[in-house]
Amino acid sequence: MPDTHFRSIAQTLNARIWRWATACAMLIVLGQTMVSWQEVTSRFENELLDIQETNIPLLSVSVWDIEPKVIQWQLDNLTERHSLGFVRLTVESGQIFVAGNASLAQSKVLRTFDVPAPDRGTRIIGHLEIMENPGVFFRAWMQRVGVAVLAYGILTLMICVLVAYVLRRELEWPLRHIARFAAELTPDRLSTPLTVERPKHRHQDEIDLVVTGFQTLQQGLNRHVANLDERVRERTRELEEAMLSIQRLSQVDSLTGCVNRRHFNERILAEAERVGRYERKLSVLFCDIDHFKQINDTLGHLAGDEVLRAVGRIFLMQVRDDVDWVARYGGEEFVVVLPETGQAEAMATGERLREILASTPVELAQCPIPVTISIGVAELRTGESVNELLARADTALYAAKAAGRNRVLMARG
Amino acid sequence: MRHVVLWLTGWLCPQLVFAMSVVFINPGKSDEVYWVSAARAMEAAAKSLGVSLQVMYAERDHPKAIEIARTIAARTPALRPDYVVFTNDYGTGPEIMRVLDEARIKHFMAFSGIFESAVRQKVGLPRQQYSAWLGSLEPKAEEAGYLTARELIQVARRAKAFGSDGRLHMLAVSGDRSTPTSVRRSEGMRRAIAEAGDVVLDQEIHGAWGREKAAEQAAWLYQRHPEARLIWAGNDLMAFGAMQSWRARGGKPGKDAWFSAINTSSEAMTAIQSGELSALAGGHFIAGAWALVMLYDYHHGRDFAQEEGLELNQSMFVLFSPTQAARFQKRFGNLDFHSIDFRRFSKVLSPQIKRYDFSFSQLLN
Repeated sequence: MPDTHFRSIAQTLNARIWRWATACAMLIVLGQTMVSWQEVTSRFENELLDIQETNIPLLSVSVWDIEPKVIQWQLDNLTERHSLGFVRLTVESGQIFVAGNASLAQSKVLRTFDVPAPDRGTRIIGHLEIMENPGVFFRAWMQRVGVAVLAYGILTLMICVLVAYVLRRELEWPLRHIARFAAELTPDRLSTPLTVERPKHRHQDEIDLVVTGFQTLQQGLNRHVANLDERVRERTRELEEAMLSIQRLSQVDSLTGCVNRRHFNERILAEAERVGRYERKLSVLFCDIDHFKQINDTLGHLAGDEVLRAVGRIFLMQVRDDVDWVARYGGEEFVVVLPETGQAEAMATGERLREILASTPVELAQCPIPVTISIGVAELRTGESVNELLARADTALYAAKAAGRNRVLMARG
Repeated sequence: MRHVVLWLTGWLCPQLVFAMSVVFINPGKSDEVYWVSAARAMEAAAKSLGVSLQVMYAERDHPKAIEIARTIAARTPALRPDYVVFTNDYGTGPEIMRVLDEARIKHFMAFSGIFESAVRQKVGLPRQQYSAWLGSLEPKAEEAGYLTARELIQVARRAKAFGSDGRLHMLAVSGDRSTPTSVRRSEGMRRAIAEAGDVVLDQEIHGAWGREKAAEQAAWLYQRHPEARLIWAGNDLMAFGAMQSWRARGGKPGKDAWFSAINTSSEAMTAIQSGELSALAGGHFIAGAWALVMLYDYHHGRDFAQEEGLELNQSMFVLFSPTQAARFQKRFGNLDFHSIDFRRFSKVLSPQIKRYDFSFSQLLN
């Protein structure tokens, strides 16, 4: 969140209400001014009519009866009651009566009334002059506008106070509480439920929706975190399996399932080292399929592959699990490694393998073909290297081939 | 013999508790000639008859007359008077009667009577609805208005004060609209005009019995009615006010305009002798003294109800000639009426009297 000055929603709302209220007040003042002007004008006309109908006859009587006090009282009453600025009564016998604000005596005469003699027809016994009173409009205006603006202002203020109170109570406090809760939320406290203490209310509002949503979010997060551990375990296991598979692929010959040449080189060294360290026995059988080039040439490479696959399968089946192992040394050559085995036992194993292969033709497209192998056997001597061992076994194999194939020969000392 | 004893007691110790006591609620001011004359005449009669009299002035402040009645009603019984004499000036009579009747204090209306029918309905007749209201004695006010107006017209006719239409134009300044006396005097004035036939009443106004207001009003009137030369006034002060305005216009009362007045002030007596006033009637201030005489007789067992009636409207006014005016000034100029022996007019003290004679002229002869 950008670091800007904080301003509550209530403040913003109230500022807007005030702005609008001020604009409306201006309109009201304008309207009231027009109404006041009309009102004052029409009231003045009515007053003049009233004076004509009520005050003039009374004045007529009191002037005729020569009651100066009454005349003065009537004029005072006239100016007071009708908010006239200044009036002047000139009697036919010369007397002058005035009432009202003397400073307006010189102002414009708005209207002159003739005061007739009572019940004597057309005889005029006086003139009543009404002077202009500029203060009346201003007073009426002030009164109207003042009252309207005051009432409007009080109303606006009350609305603002109410809005501020309601927003603070219903929105600001709960939201601040929620914001604080969210800010202090850490993974270990994720399960702590959000509770907002509010006065009881009958209907759900936005705050309740936010609280409910927050609780749903918390539950979802909790579930998600729990799930995540399980999935990490699963993936690790898959990864491990993949790693194993890759490792196996790097060590195994894909055609025969036997250890490949690269892995053979590493492993035979480890076997030889263990024999040296613990003074154990180790023998190897160097095997080669008889006339394999011929099979390849006459029956094709696919048949050759099938023969290799069958030979590998038989070797793996016939050696001791977890102890003996078989490597494809190259082409049609296999090396069977026999730990803990002396040369006599190795000879026996070699013989058994030769016999099984010789008695088991390889099924090639429903056409069994006889396959035989020649084997050179050698036992690791003390101080002998692996290469010397393999060379001795290879020499024995070569001798077996030379002796007519399908046979097993012990390497010479 | 009983009368002699009573007389002796009253004469020797008038202030004693067993002397008959009367309070007079005087509506006028304590420096107003007419009402002071009335009070002085009552005091003379009281002294003459051995009555204890207290005069209380309302100073022409109408509500005060009612207030005085209330204070009298609020007195402890020992301090209450036997009788209260009051007037109906400005229509205060009914309320005073109500207050005093409630307190069971006997009261008698003098100088005025019940005039309007609405008021009559309210108060009824004496000794009925208000049983403590004994009766009333009223000078024939209409007579005063009539006598002065008739004399004024005769003087003006002789002086040929006719207007351009060949008629005599009169202005009337009466007292007020509510006092029956004022209305009656105006009625008398109008009767005289009606009898004369060649007189026009240009306007009647109400001067509130005072000199100042009448003077101001007269100034307007002369302007408004330039042909008017006869000015009838309901009392002396208003006549003098109107005269003052006439002089202010450069006129000479009695020479180019003619004035009439009612009352017996020394100024009026002087004016009738000098000719500034053309007609003057008066003497009715004596009504209060006559009321005391009636109450004295009532108090001593001679009720006026059978022989005279309950509400008396008696002729009292005298139209003063300059000679009579001079005589009045000589006898009563200082407002001392003790030379009158009021026992001569009491039926109890002068048993030969069958009916009361309340005319003022007999006091001048």
